[in-house]
Amino acid sequence: MGIQFKTDETFRDDFSYRNSDAAILRFPFPFGEDKYMYSVNIEPHGKAGGSPAFDHAFDVDEHYVAECRERAIVLDHDPKRCQVLPHMMPAEWDTLELLMESLSTDYPEHFSLTRDGTAWHWINRPLGLDRRFVFGDASTLPCGPFEYITRQAQGDFTLQDQRDDNLYVDGGMVTTQADWSLEFDIGMSFHEWHGPVPLAHEIGVFDRALQYLLRLQYGHPVRRLNWTMTINPRLDTSPENYPDWGPDRTTVTAENIAGKLHLRVELQTLFRLPRSNAILFGIRCYLISLQDIERVEKWRKRLHRVLATLPPELVEYKGLTRFHHMAVSRLAAMDDGAPLSLGIQPDQARLPA
Amino acid sequence: MSDQSIKSRPVYQSLAMDLSGLRHLLVSDSPAYRFEAPPDREVEVWFVAAPDQEGRIPPSGTVRERGFRSPRHLIDRLDHRLAQERMGLRLYVSGTEGFLWDVFNTAQRAGMTRQEIFQCQSGTQARRVACVHCRTFNHGVTTTIVRCDGCGANLFVRDHFSRRLSAFMGVKIDAEVAGEVPPAEQAYS
Repeated sequence: MGIQFKTDETFRDDFSYRNSDAAILRFPFPFGEDKYMYSVNIEPHGKAGGSPAFDHAFDVDEHYVAECRERAIVLDHDPKRCQVLPHMMPAEWDTLELLMESLSTDYPEHFSLTRDGTAWHWINRPLGLDRRFVFGDASTLPCGPFEYITRQAQGDFTLQDQRDDNLYVDGGMVTTQADWSLEFDIGMSFHEWHGPVPLAHEIGVFDRALQYLLRLQYGHPVRRLNWTMTINPRLDTSPENYPDWGPDRTTVTAENIAGKLHLRVELQTLFRLPRSNAILFGIRCYLISLQDIERVEKWRKRLHRVLATLPPELVEYKGLTRFHHMAVSRLAAMDDGAPLSLGIQPDQARLPA
Repeated sequence: MSDQSIKSRPVYQSLAMDLSGLRHLLVSDSPAYRFEAPPDREVEVWFVAAPDQEGRIPPSGTVRERGFRSPRHLIDRLDHRLAQERMGLRLYVSGTEGFLWDVFNTAQRAGMTRQEIFQCQSGTQARRVACVHCRTFNHGVTTTIVRCDGCGANLFVRDHFSRRLSAFMGVKIDAEVAGEVPPAEQAYS
């Protein structure tokens, strides 16, 4: 049975994005414990881990078609949201191969890849694409291979080149980001592009994460979850467009917070690429409204505890200052303090009506 | 968006000759530079004339010295020079931060590596600020908040530096509540 795509939903203007009950229950809720602090929370990217969103290399869900359309809108306004430095062409083809093979293997009812030497035939049914091209010959595609395939995937992607015992962000497709700019950061080393993150440098998180990633092996992808909060289900919270979405943060009231405030979770995945030895970094964004979180007993209580104990630096860095107290006081009324199970799984199979 | 320290900004050293090099070229955005080379090694020096020269190229003291009218003038000529260079050149750069990275990026495009380029910051600490919203470069910024030449937004100068753009990031400070702009403080001069 295929996925029922919600083809009409939007992530701007009228914000018609909604999660079905099934999408809520499979949401990758990021808090396995009652307190949150930065850590090198990297684990192998395989099945298990508390959410069906981890079942495949690249998760495809009911929002696929709408997210691809949103990406096209962003790129039309600002083509520099996709840039790859010229020396990364082998990594571009690696990315195309990995995504096409994964999608066609994991979702054969929606995607198909036929290879005859370098003559490839790609079919993307949800987007209505049917393309024959020559693998390795970019002139046979309508745009670069990295852009071509990441226009057909959910979430942002960056390409990390590995040299001088460091990783350099030498390319990316970045249209659904939480306040970082590819145009500004492209070419930066690992510590440079994480420069603005508070607290984590001082506790050595980036030193250890870099050492870990330099040793990442082909065929053994890893993942971690990251999170922030966004007003309205808006995917493009880029610094470029901050003048347009910044005012949203002042629109939150005690009356509308449950519908407006969204937990924004990034499922970050890292894949070593075979030819280029580069790393493909997937940053898949999931959005869930506070009112939908509240339908899961464990999650609403845990979110309360995490937000109530969040260090002030993180409240500011994540941009929660204007509504953090409102969210905490609303959730406090729904938390009896009972112990919660460890892990992110919802602990219930159905949602109340 | 207050930042305590600048992870993306390099720490600059004073210049010392890399004796593994075969040829040595120092470029400076002012006639006042400091570089000590062992007496048995030759260093070629390219420098930018002081603004009071108003476009005149000052006569050079020695054959190893060469003056230029402006940083742009020097970098244009450097671009041409590096296209003809071979392995073994060491490039030393002295000047404002914007100049250091403009030269670096020119050299890297010509095929030089990080290990062959040495940078020393001197002169004004004023910042070049790239508006993240409209991509205009604002030059000579000495205050924590600057009005963008391109789009008019009041930009907070974030402590985040791009070597590729040779600039700091400017982000609209009152994007959430229009008009909430604190007074700019003199910070970099």
